Amino acid sequence: MKRSAAARAALAVAVLVPVVLVAAVVGLSTGAGSLSLRDALQGREPDATVLFRLRVPRVLLAAEVGAALSVAGVALQALLRNPLADPFVFGLSGGAAIGTAIVTVASGTAVGAAAASAASFAGLLPTQLAAVAGAMAAALLVFTLGRARGNLDPARALLVGVVFNSFASALVLSVEAVLRPDQMQAVSLWLAGSLGYEAMPLLTGAGIALLLPVLVLLALAGRMNLLALGDEGASALGVDVGRTRLFAFFAASAAVGIAVAFTGLVGFVGLIVPHAVRLLTGPDHRVVLPASALGGAAFLVLADALARVLFRGLGAEPPVGAVTAIVGAPLFVLLMRSRE
Amino acid sequence: MTLLDARDLRYRHAAEAPEAVAGASLRISAGELVGVIGPNAAGKSTLARLCCGLLSPQRGSVSLRGELLEKLSRRERARRVAFLPQHPPQDLSFTAREVAVMGRAPHLGLWALEGPRDFERAHAALAELDALELADRPVSQLSGGERQRVFLARAFAQDAALLVLDEPTAALDLAHQVLLVNALRRRAREGGAALLVLHDLALAGAACDRLALMDRGKIAAEGGPGDVLQPSVLSSVYGTQVEVMLNPATGQPLVAPRILR
Repeated sequence: MKRSAAARAALAVAVLVPVVLVAAVVGLSTGAGSLSLRDALQGREPDATVLFRLRVPRVLLAAEVGAALSVAGVALQALLRNPLADPFVFGLSGGAAIGTAIVTVASGTAVGAAAASAASFAGLLPTQLAAVAGAMAAALLVFTLGRARGNLDPARALLVGVVFNSFASALVLSVEAVLRPDQMQAVSLWLAGSLGYEAMPLLTGAGIALLLPVLVLLALAGRMNLLALGDEGASALGVDVGRTRLFAFFAASAAVGIAVAFTGLVGFVGLIVPHAVRLLTGPDHRVVLPASALGGAAFLVLADALARVLFRGLGAEPPVGAVTAIVGAPLFVLLMRSRE
Repeated sequence: MTLLDARDLRYRHAAEAPEAVAGASLRISAGELVGVIGPNAAGKSTLARLCCGLLSPQRGSVSLRGELLEKLSRRERARRVAFLPQHPPQDLSFTAREVAVMGRAPHLGLWALEGPRDFERAHAALAELDALELADRPVSQLSGGERQRVFLARAFAQDAALLVLDEPTAALDLAHQVLLVNALRRRAREGGAALLVLHDLALAGAACDRLALMDRGKIAAEGGPGDVLQPSVLSSVYGTQVEVMLNPATGQPLVAPRILR
């Protein structure tokens, strides 16, 4: 471990990029129907359409969301100094759920439906926007109520997040009572976290939008290391602890908001990927962050591939959020035990 | 050259709390090792934190090398004064080398990437504190004394002229206490200085050029070890009978409590 952080980060990236590529190939070649990658690449129909219109966007979406959730998990764990911090124990998921539920209910009313169709016409996606707004509002709430003496207090912020999540799920449950069955199914699918087929321009936009929070977090990575020394230890080394927390928190929230807008609540990714990565790379965030972005992308692409083949015989597909949890929970216990 | 000039500092931790530091002044020049001694809750650690800007005094001022502390950026402050808290974190999964090189943080650029020079500085600091062979071990697996040496190396690697160390010797065995004092002396000869919060009065008498005895937030006595370590002064401030003799080998004052049995 004598090498500099830059060299170790480069090594991690060099190892993980092929892993992501292999995961992508697996993701592209699994699905409801059989597909020959060679035929598709040679432009033969219908394989080419399936590949480029359906599977490429889907794999890209999984990669973006997996990377965003993992990077956010790393940041939240560092700035709360809590290994259990995860985008979804933090109130962000609850906020996003409330936003979606409200839009779903509102679109059932005449005024709401008109507003929603006007928004869609303008190229906006009301449900997605409401999810992002809800997540950011929850982040603001946790950040405001989680402060003690003007500084974010990790224990307090975590408590506020957990309490707010319970409150939000109660609210969503109450709202579900007034929904039509088809609306209810849409909401619960969204809550479970599922990947859909999005248009390529949208995915490109989301990828570019994700770059900003990731770059902010990379620039803060050295300071996140120092936060492990405690607020005072970091401050004595010249770190503005309050500002570092503020930037890292909102960068992480933005990444989660973007991910949630597309896929709903895909749990466990932000928890398990950073832990697995740290086992391999050590705790240095300048290495853990880029490695988690790639590891998270590969993990969710593979989880989605698994979701698509799991019940293929039955013509059904479980939400990817369920797969990440079913695979993630035992994997997490294994990781914890291997650490001891 | 005056490295630290703290004037008439006052600080209370909460509005209704008594003043932890109640009008204390302290000057430290290059080349000096200054010990701050005193009973529990006398305000020693609070004074140390005020001197390196981790707390802001409600009244009074602190200057580092002639510039007011509040006018310095955090990074510039960290390049002028290094601080070691009394209880550094124990559960770090970072290695000793990674912790030592963290001391270079105030010297790094935007992406906080260390260069070869920074690793050289960290290794030199680890070697100075007899901790180089610990370099690849996670700090969480070290003993208390080993961990303390690693955190001292982090403070040394910071390359600040003034070191503020809160109870730096508490976890160290005798040989490493002497090693630390000699390392601090070497830095002092090269133009550095240190403020040490100490409970061990025998060590304070032997190691420091000057002592400041604190009592209820004020400096009750200040001067050379021979002037401050007086049985009458110590007995009244500490509230217990204290004997002072001279070390026959060095002539330095040697403090011992009188325990009857």
